Amino acid sequence: MTLIWSALTIGAVYALVATGYNIVFTASGAFNFAHASLMMLGVFIAYWGLNVAKLPVIVVFLIAGGIVFIVGALEERVAIRPVRNPEALLVTTVGVATLIDGATQRIWGPSPLEVPFFGSNQVVTIFGGRVLPDELWILGFTIVVVGVLMLLSRRTMVGLAMLAIAENREAAQLRGINVRRIAWGAFAFSGLLAGLAGPIIGPQTFASATLASSIALYGFVALAIGGFGSLPGGLIGGFVVGLAQEYAARYWGSTYSDIAVFALLLIVLLLKPNGLFGRINERAV
Amino acid sequence: MFVNQIKRVPPIAVPIILAVIVVFLPQLGLSLPNQRQVLLIGFLTLLVSGLNLSLGYAGELALGQPAIYATGAYVAGYMGVHGETDIFLQILAAIGAALFVGLLTGIPGLRLGNWSLAMTSFFLVLLIPDIVQIFQNQTGGAIGLAGIMPPTAFGTQLTNYGYYLVCVLSVIVWLAFMRNLVTSRHGIALRVLRQSPVLASSLGISVFRTKVTAYALGAVPAGVAGALFANLDHYIAPTEFDFALAVTILAASILGGATSVYGAIIGAVIMQLGPLESTSFQNDALIFYGLLLIVGGVLLANGLTGIATNAWSRWVLKRGPVSRSVHISPDFQFPPMSGASLEVHSISKSFGGNKALRDVSMTAERGKVTALIGPNGSGKTTLLNMICGFYKTDAGSITIDGHQIDGRRPSEIARQGLARTFQMPMIPAGITVSDVVLSGRYTPERLSIGSAVLRLPKYWRVHRHDRERIDDILEIVGLTDLKDEEAVKLSLGTRRLLEIARALVSEPRVILLDESASGLDEDEVARLALLISRIRDAGGSVILVEHNFRLVLSLADTIHVLAQGEIIASGAPAEIEINPRVLKEYLGVKEKDIEEAAAIIEADTTGQQR
Amino acid sequence: MSDTAANLGMEPIVDPPAPLLEVKNLATGYGDIRAVWDVSLSVHAGKLTAVLGRNGAGKTTTLRAIAGLNKVSAGSINYQGKDISGLQPHRRVTNGIAFVQDGKRVFHRLTVQDNLFLGGYTLGIGRRKMPKEVARIFEIFPVLGERAKVVAGQMSGGQQQMLAIGQALMAKPALLMLDEPSGGLAPSIVGEVMETVATLKTAGIGVLLVEQQVEAAIDVADHVVVLDIGRVILDSPASEIVDLDVLKEAYFGSATLEGEEPGPGGDAS
Repeated sequence: MTLIWSALTIGAVYALVATGYNIVFTASGAFNFAHASLMMLGVFIAYWGLNVAKLPVIVVFLIAGGIVFIVGALEERVAIRPVRNPEALLVTTVGVATLIDGATQRIWGPSPLEVPFFGSNQVVTIFGGRVLPDELWILGFTIVVVGVLMLLSRRTMVGLAMLAIAENREAAQLRGINVRRIAWGAFAFSGLLAGLAGPIIGPQTFASATLASSIALYGFVALAIGGFGSLPGGLIGGFVVGLAQEYAARYWGSTYSDIAVFALLLIVLLLKPNGLFGRINERAV
Repeated sequence: MFVNQIKRVPPIAVPIILAVIVVFLPQLGLSLPNQRQVLLIGFLTLLVSGLNLSLGYAGELALGQPAIYATGAYVAGYMGVHGETDIFLQILAAIGAALFVGLLTGIPGLRLGNWSLAMTSFFLVLLIPDIVQIFQNQTGGAIGLAGIMPPTAFGTQLTNYGYYLVCVLSVIVWLAFMRNLVTSRHGIALRVLRQSPVLASSLGISVFRTKVTAYALGAVPAGVAGALFANLDHYIAPTEFDFALAVTILAASILGGATSVYGAIIGAVIMQLGPLESTSFQNDALIFYGLLLIVGGVLLANGLTGIATNAWSRWVLKRGPVSRSVHISPDFQFPPMSGASLEVHSISKSFGGNKALRDVSMTAERGKVTALIGPNGSGKTTLLNMICGFYKTDAGSITIDGHQIDGRRPSEIARQGLARTFQMPMIPAGITVSDVVLSGRYTPERLSIGSAVLRLPKYWRVHRHDRERIDDILEIVGLTDLKDEEAVKLSLGTRRLLEIARALVSEPRVILLDESASGLDEDEVARLALLISRIRDAGGSVILVEHNFRLVLSLADTIHVLAQGEIIASGAPAEIEINPRVLKEYLGVKEKDIEEAAAIIEADTTGQQR
Repeated sequence: MSDTAANLGMEPIVDPPAPLLEVKNLATGYGDIRAVWDVSLSVHAGKLTAVLGRNGAGKTTTLRAIAGLNKVSAGSINYQGKDISGLQPHRRVTNGIAFVQDGKRVFHRLTVQDNLFLGGYTLGIGRRKMPKEVARIFEIFPVLGERAKVVAGQMSGGQQQMLAIGQALMAKPALLMLDEPSGGLAPSIVGEVMETVATLKTAGIGVLLVEQQVEAAIDVADHVVVLDIGRVILDSPASEIVDLDVLKEAYFGSATLEGEEPGPGGDAS
């Protein structure tokens, strides 16, 4: 059961990445490879805030959320909006990811840094499995985020507008929807979420720029399993990936966990390209 | 005057001179450390070139070069550790392994969109350390593969210069092959594939085979580079093949221009030498690459070579904007065509609950112009797509001269002799008018990739045929003056004619024109009508899917009218234009006016010359 | 289709002297292609101007420029007395211009209700208050009311067309632009659609109608403009057009047939 808790925890991190992908993808049709790097930036800011500057937790949350919000907004303006075709989007988002990773390495060096958890480090036992409070926080945060977003997308006009944009951008404009502002907003909002997640996931992931690319890819697997554009799908997909990773590591060794997830990716893409709940066919992008 | 002399130098001279210089650099006193830099640039050039082939030409985001590089390196390294030191054998083995891995990792791309292919191939890079670890007995695991014996060739140990030469020549040979490939019809095929799989199928180009070829060919240089790399330091560290390398290769490709053969060199030079400039730059390398990718993705559509060639053609060659015209020579001899008949037998098709076509039958007779007209929602486009093979029939069959074509794949149907044009012309960017016509030559005459790359005699023969046919067709259609212009930049009417030229050059048995007249002005429509009638007179079969009623009345031998999924009228133009049902159902004439309208038209017809 | 005026929440307005929309010497196109060279037309509140012409004449291009989707290279577009050429498309909607594109471009993956909600996006009310507004549209198109939760893509062409018009009406527009609303519809349905369009006038909405169905268009028009190759070749009050002559002109000129269907066929320019 302890295994399941850690699988769900790491799965929740992937689900957060997939959620970031989903928000942006639905609102603008762009796949933001740099989202994991945004999350890692949040972790680095958490490290600095909690370990170096020793600021109060609330302040760290605000700063992390605020800075990454700005970076996300900047990314949309500079690397997404001016870009014409989808291939170039991959190039620019990889560029943003590389830039962020390079910057964090420059500022804080290449070695992984420890991020202290703002709460208790006392292990608790739930359902027969040992779990850290931080892990519970990660799970809780992810579920709450996905839940709130699902509610927002179903209950608000903005949520409906995003679906419209995803289907036909021009028709959405003609209904009075400010497509550009919504795309920008989605990026900025995903940055906010990424920043807020920093102090929460940091203690588990450590602040490590090199980790961003693998989290980005694992998050993609979660997205593929859940289906492009599906928020609940991203959550479930994340958990599936987490479980696959941990069980493969447990029974075959950690060398095999990447391979297991890759196999999972291939199986899903080849058998069910739209994922479990896919609304939007990725091929159309 | 100097400029005039420059103009006369053929472009190929530049790479050749460069190649010669590089070959002799060590003799000219280049130090060993600098020779190493040249070799590293060479390896990166190979990696970038492979990416250019799949990304720049085929448009496939296959980014797994580090994995293939690693494969080639470890295969050659393993051979080197165990006594097989012949470098050429190692290269061959590496190519074999590279092909295998390249194809394996390309498989997702066959079925999926580009993002999925990109992510899958990136993921491979993640797997490298794991696979190296799993096979650590063969690969040396995380500490790397050491003890690779020095390379030999033809039985004797290679000197430093010998090894240098092998590396440089490998790069030169690969670039030559790549140049031969992309300047041949296969390069055009890749661009067509990149533009649209639908277009590729309609030209008889098999999407599956072309994609697989792109993955395979893109993997070859990476494998070669790996084999050469293994012999550089006689040691392979798995940390060499990381994500940063994948990003570097992508950045170099963008910088040099993903569609340029030689851009790979420029990109590689900048990427390799850039970090050398300052020690602190090493730390900032990622930042530099990141910025480069962002700027490159936004601005540099064709990379630095694109900027250079644009500048060259604008300032040195003084190419001005296009101001040439199109004119069909009235007395040019139209070659005879062997038109076939196309029969649609009782076709039905539903989508979900919606019955798009209901028991539709019609025949396009050989050597005639058959028009298919119908309003929005009549099922016209559905029928057209079914004839071309994009939809399966629920019932009924479609045949060409009696041979069944329904149920077959679009590229097969194209090879059966069905050529078509598109309502919005599908023309790849960055190629000339002649190249567009060339892409139609796939069906009449085949050419293997090997022949193209090695420029075997068959290549030259086919090339000559291509040139002749293309020139003939351009003459017929009236586009001879425009043959070297970039096709996408021409006017809509000209692009329509170009699509017809592309269809004609494939020696079709049936030509299907999809709303060719829409958006054209009167002169252009007249030109189009003239061309169509000459095709008919030469024996060709033309199916005209149209909504320009006037054009249809003047040109067609038979008109079939489709409305709400059914044929409501078939016959000669004179019958159709006064057919009450046609007048009502879609000319929108109210019941009470039909008789009056019919009378007017008839009176006007007898008075008018058609 | 009763009480349309009341349902639209507007009062019949006495014809004001200044035009609601005034387009002067418009030149526009798509990218490199110049489709409109010199077009001038106007629409008054409560009146319908019909734009006719052969395919490729520039009718759709003109509408798109007024909606803000195409760039204007020359000329002016004045709406309610102000030049709107620099205004982004979504801002024009907020100002009261609604554009119903050809080809029934509703959101096929969403329900009728959601489609109508989106039509009311500019009303600035929350999703919860939408059903009340949507009820007006259901009064005009009961057929839609019966299918509120049906996914738009599963309805027939005629129903989708009604939904498209309903969407536009949700925004309470002052100017309604319709691009070939009769496209691919059975003649009887065309009649219904045109009747609805005619009643919109009584609510004070100015209508700009592009049509292939010449007769149907002239029946509801107050003013007729005919385009050919990007220029105006006829500009006259509808009452001054003699039926038969226009009919002749139409058959040997404008009586072309629209073709706009999904699939690799693409769309018309």
